[in-house]
Amino acid sequence: MTFDVEIGNTLRTVTVHRKGQALHVDVCGRAHIVDARRIGECQWSLLVGAGETTTPVVSVDVALAAGATPGAFDVHLAGRMIPVQIRPAGAFGRQRREGGSAAAAGPQRVVAPMPGKIVRVLVKAGDEVKARQGLVVVEAMKMENELRAARDGRVRDVAVAEGQSVEAGAVLVIVE
Amino acid sequence: MKKVLIANRGEVAVRVIRACRDMGIATVAIYSECDRAALHVRLADEAWPVGPSAPRESYLRIDTIIEVAARSGADAVHPGYGFLAENPDFAAACRDAGLTFIGPSPEAITMMGSKTAARRAALAAGVPVVPGTEEPLDDRTADADVLKVAEGIGYPLMLKAVAGGGGKGMRMVSAPAELPPALRAARSEAQSAFGDGAVYLERRLLAPRHIEVQLLGDHHGTVLPFVERECSIQRRHQKVVEESPSLAVGPDLRRRMTSAAAAVAKAVGYTNAGTIEFLLDTGGSFYFLEMNTRLQVEHPITEMVTGVDLVQWQIRIARGERLDLDPERLLAPQAHAIECRIYAEDPDNGFMPSPGRILGLRVPQGPGIRDDSGAYEGGEVPIFYDPLISKLVTWGETREHAIARMKRALTEYEVRGIRTTIPFFQWMLTDEDFLAGRFDTGFLDRKLAASRNRVLHAGDAAHEDLAAIAAAVHLFTGPAAKGGPGAAASRWRDTGRAEARR
Repeated sequence: MTFDVEIGNTLRTVTVHRKGQALHVDVCGRAHIVDARRIGECQWSLLVGAGETTTPVVSVDVALAAGATPGAFDVHLAGRMIPVQIRPAGAFGRQRREGGSAAAAGPQRVVAPMPGKIVRVLVKAGDEVKARQGLVVVEAMKMENELRAARDGRVRDVAVAEGQSVEAGAVLVIVE
Repeated sequence: MKKVLIANRGEVAVRVIRACRDMGIATVAIYSECDRAALHVRLADEAWPVGPSAPRESYLRIDTIIEVAARSGADAVHPGYGFLAENPDFAAACRDAGLTFIGPSPEAITMMGSKTAARRAALAAGVPVVPGTEEPLDDRTADADVLKVAEGIGYPLMLKAVAGGGGKGMRMVSAPAELPPALRAARSEAQSAFGDGAVYLERRLLAPRHIEVQLLGDHHGTVLPFVERECSIQRRHQKVVEESPSLAVGPDLRRRMTSAAAAVAKAVGYTNAGTIEFLLDTGGSFYFLEMNTRLQVEHPITEMVTGVDLVQWQIRIARGERLDLDPERLLAPQAHAIECRIYAEDPDNGFMPSPGRILGLRVPQGPGIRDDSGAYEGGEVPIFYDPLISKLVTWGETREHAIARMKRALTEYEVRGIRTTIPFFQWMLTDEDFLAGRFDTGFLDRKLAASRNRVLHAGDAAHEDLAAIAAAVHLFTGPAAKGGPGAAASRWRDTGRAEARR
């Protein structure tokens, strides 16, 4: 079974198949042999070896947390948290791949993550914005929080004004 | 004292419950609507509802909390920190209702809560304050008069709200021309945040450290200071890492700072736990900044290096016991302790709060580790309150040892389902200037500004390969117990079809 795995801006093609007790996992042409032992619903103890003939001994303790969208996982391993987007390779997968990163599909609707107050609006309709550029500042949970653009684009609409109170999920800015 | 009501939530409520249990005292928790299943409710002997989730309607309702205390038969109240902890009306309401308030007197809270009154108290005790105005400058003071006062203090200076806190109503002014507009802005900000537009001026120290001294005072005239805490690692005026002792404080300076702190507390007849905050400049001069009339968030590091249970002593002092600790022991740290405040915030997204359900939790264990937490697996981090989920404290024989243990603990710490500041601390603890102890209160904001757009959680390519392998193995194998690769594939086909129909 083959998957497309996106981490940051890098896409990896990962193929998994079972051979006896072990799993053979190919990551972009790099072969691995994996002894996977399930610890919990979303927890694994993996022993990993490079190449198909080695004894897998590198111990990797892994836990996954599913994100809000299908295929999004926060993968916790070796004291790190690595956000991963995974999908089976195929028609659905290829279509996404041609579009570049997953974030590139359709206009970005920047929504309020929680109820709060708009403290500052940093852009106006028609502005060109860069990825991670600040768009609006929302005060919630006693802190001011800057909401940023997910990628380069142009501001289509600013739906809020400074001083306005917003509910969770309210669309604040649309970037296309 | 048989039963204590804890007028708080989260990790500090849990901390107080544990101290009470150590002493055989029954506990009463209070909870808002969204906190019904919070850890402090689960651990307490009794739990009483106090209203809707918004703090104003629950944890800040003095009348409701006093009523619950009476109905539950509690004979004392611990306010924790935040919420009503520094509200003199609450301390007075407890006293009027015949409840022991585990904290200072309402009079002491009132006096030290006013920045200008606190400065006067410090000066009267012979303790230097940052040069500045002794009288508040209210709305009626003319700009020309303020400019004259400013000239006497010298630029650059800080403009601060008398009733202020948390960086609100605060402005830096580097030249006379900037003063009038800054004055207008600070006054209106202070007026809307605290209902009091009065401000005062203070000289701005260059590259100061924030050093504070923990105190305990009993009702028999004894005030004892503790070895200092170093709290210069701040993000937007909020402490995020604290340690004790400070690399910048030697035995002689420690003796002088702790004596000064005790002098201020004695001068105002202070009782129970409190903290005097100082700024320490690069020349080794220190200045009184303010007093916090409560238990501090970072109190565990002091407990770790002195072996004293501060919350237990708060209770013993409130019961009228004598503070009979050996003063020398409190000033001679036996180890080094460091604390990281783990917040439900996403450091890769401008420290955006990340409330939600904790799907999985692995808490670090082993030698030299303490985790004061209000979180549990399956628990909820609500959107209504400060998103602090845990205070991770490590101690070691030396600073290096404590930091090495902190790095190990952070690697073991796993919070799934929400984003936390754990990756931020992993990044910070490798910083050369931090490791060498070269920092001041502006250090972290400068570092963060310089590292803008850097993704903190990024592992190297090998870690990403492993993450890709793990995700693929997880999906290939499918859900636990039922189904294999076929089930996973068909779920994916369903998702694909659903997407296509949109």
